[in-house]
Amino acid sequence: MKSIRTYLLLALLAIITIVTFLSALHGYQSGIDKVDELFDQRLRELAEIIVDANHDTSKRDNRATAIKPSVFYQIFSKQNVLLVRSENAPDWLLFEPTQKAGFKDVNYSGYRWRTYQLIDERLKRWVLTAERIDLRYGLADTIVSTVILPTVLAVPIVASIIWLAIGIGLRPLKELVSQLNNKRADDLTPIFIRDTPDELTQLITTINSLFNRLNEGFIREQQFSADAAHELRTPISALKVQMHNVKQSQPKNGVDLQPLSEGIERMGHVVEQILSLYRNTSDQAAQKQVRNDFYALAQDCIANEYSQLDLKKQQISLQGDSPCWLMGDRFALETLLQNLITNAIKYSPNNGTIQVSLHQEELDVKLIVEDSGLGIAEKDYERVFERFYRVSGDQHASGVLGCGLGLAIVKHIVVMYNANIKLSSSDTLGGLKVVVCFPQLRLNA
Amino acid sequence: MQILLIEDDIALVDALKKTLVYEGFLVNHLSKGSQAIAMVKTELPDMVILDLGLPDMNGLEVLRALREVSSELPILILTARSSLEDKITGLDLGADDYLAKPFDVNELLARIRVIERRASSLKHAGLTIGEVSIDSVSHQVKVAGDIVTMSRREFMLLKALMENAGRVLTRSSLESKLYSWGEEVASNSIEVHIHHVRKKMPPKFIQTLRGVGYIIKLV
Repeated sequence: MKSIRTYLLLALLAIITIVTFLSALHGYQSGIDKVDELFDQRLRELAEIIVDANHDTSKRDNRATAIKPSVFYQIFSKQNVLLVRSENAPDWLLFEPTQKAGFKDVNYSGYRWRTYQLIDERLKRWVLTAERIDLRYGLADTIVSTVILPTVLAVPIVASIIWLAIGIGLRPLKELVSQLNNKRADDLTPIFIRDTPDELTQLITTINSLFNRLNEGFIREQQFSADAAHELRTPISALKVQMHNVKQSQPKNGVDLQPLSEGIERMGHVVEQILSLYRNTSDQAAQKQVRNDFYALAQDCIANEYSQLDLKKQQISLQGDSPCWLMGDRFALETLLQNLITNAIKYSPNNGTIQVSLHQEELDVKLIVEDSGLGIAEKDYERVFERFYRVSGDQHASGVLGCGLGLAIVKHIVVMYNANIKLSSSDTLGGLKVVVCFPQLRLNA
Repeated sequence: MQILLIEDDIALVDALKKTLVYEGFLVNHLSKGSQAIAMVKTELPDMVILDLGLPDMNGLEVLRALREVSSELPILILTARSSLEDKITGLDLGADDYLAKPFDVNELLARIRVIERRASSLKHAGLTIGEVSIDSVSHQVKVAGDIVTMSRREFMLLKALMENAGRVLTRSSLESKLYSWGEEVASNSIEVHIHHVRKKMPPKFIQTLRGVGYIIKLV
């Protein structure tokens, strides 16, 4: 069913047509019968009038003036001698008269006639009046048709009225559809329609309760995310501080605490990555579009990672267009930058070099992060974006601990922004080169 | 220096107290926002470390209340929620710095030191890093005991970098420290000032992160 409106219109029209047709048929039939009766009555009355008006009992040669070509009469004596007849009447006996008055159909001069035979006991004669049946029917037809025709002609008018009426009746449904269509992805407020018809009340109640449940779900999810963040980050902080204290108070030749310390770092890292994967959903991205200076974000990100850079004595440089405007959610863009830059720091050796550049081009904003690390083999370019995948598993050549989520998160954000990411080998530094292109469409400047 | 630690997680509090005491700070601890506000009203600490996730009230409310008591009290915010809104609101409400959990202990100590240095230079006590010392009252700069003359902007630049020693200051954050709103800033003015300051400093005292900013490392 393509459209309820069309369906209802066609169904109603079909029903109306059939019912109208049947009632017209029935009306026609009973109309004809009624008219027939009326004509018969007239024929009888005509006979009675003739009997009353004409008193001939002997044969009269001159033919009486014709009444109408469609009607004739004959007067016979008891002995069946034709006394008088109308001009158009036959001069013979059309049928053997019966003893009683009555109607009878006969053929004469190529037509079918309805006859009425009246016996005049007083003057010992009988009268026959006749009327052409076809003309009778023609007349009856005209009479009945003039009554029935308007109902047939009304069908198209009824159709257009029904069309409008259905349209009005379906208006709440239309409004419901347009309200649902115009809803933003994050808008879970209930739907409200004025003068809701009973049929839609249930539907709207159900939709609204669904929205409500969904909304509660989202709130719970956000709450969970926030709670999880709090419940996980605080104890990890405590662990890190305790670790620091243990290291401080421990004599130089004590137990090797490095693995424990690394374990805590790693756990903290995984928790952060999972939380950030959880936080960057496309719904959130759609609603938090703001204009960001991507260059300033990169500066902040590098400044934040300075302690790591300093620890490995790595050289980092940022170049390109300042400012570099990009529409997006700041948190997502920061996460992307942070993951790419920390990866470069992690997988570049001590005294390594990292180069970050940003270019505002005509068609896109291009972010390039290059390092002097080992790079990634070409066959692994696709797989590194999979969640929890690490090149060579945990026996990573760099000996760096990781959880395999960094590039998965980057990819996730890249997809969210319709951007594209390309891995290759850096010509200048020898390590990995990551190029991310954000389509200019996002730009506002 | 006396630090008031407002945090409800006992394990973290115990560990932090130990660390901070080891580093030579005096630490008082409270786990409720309302107690902290009352406490600050009677005795002003030198610094507050405030966790935003407190059991009795919203951390940002506590921050606002503390700011009402004293506009100069250094406040460092800790939070488990890394959401940007919290950070921006926190800094808007007058927090001096912001650190997301799980933080690195050295990072926390570095930030406390920045606040400490800023506080001490406010109290005209002067600031010394390596061979360089500055006095914010007399605007005097000494390198290895010798007085070095500097323009006002050069001095402000050096002071900002020294107060934040150990942290990278981006060009834009330096601009905002050196110039007031609406003041015309030439695109390379920070570079020019840095160039002049650097000539008067010991070699490698101010380091550059190309395209990012500058840093004075703690010795």
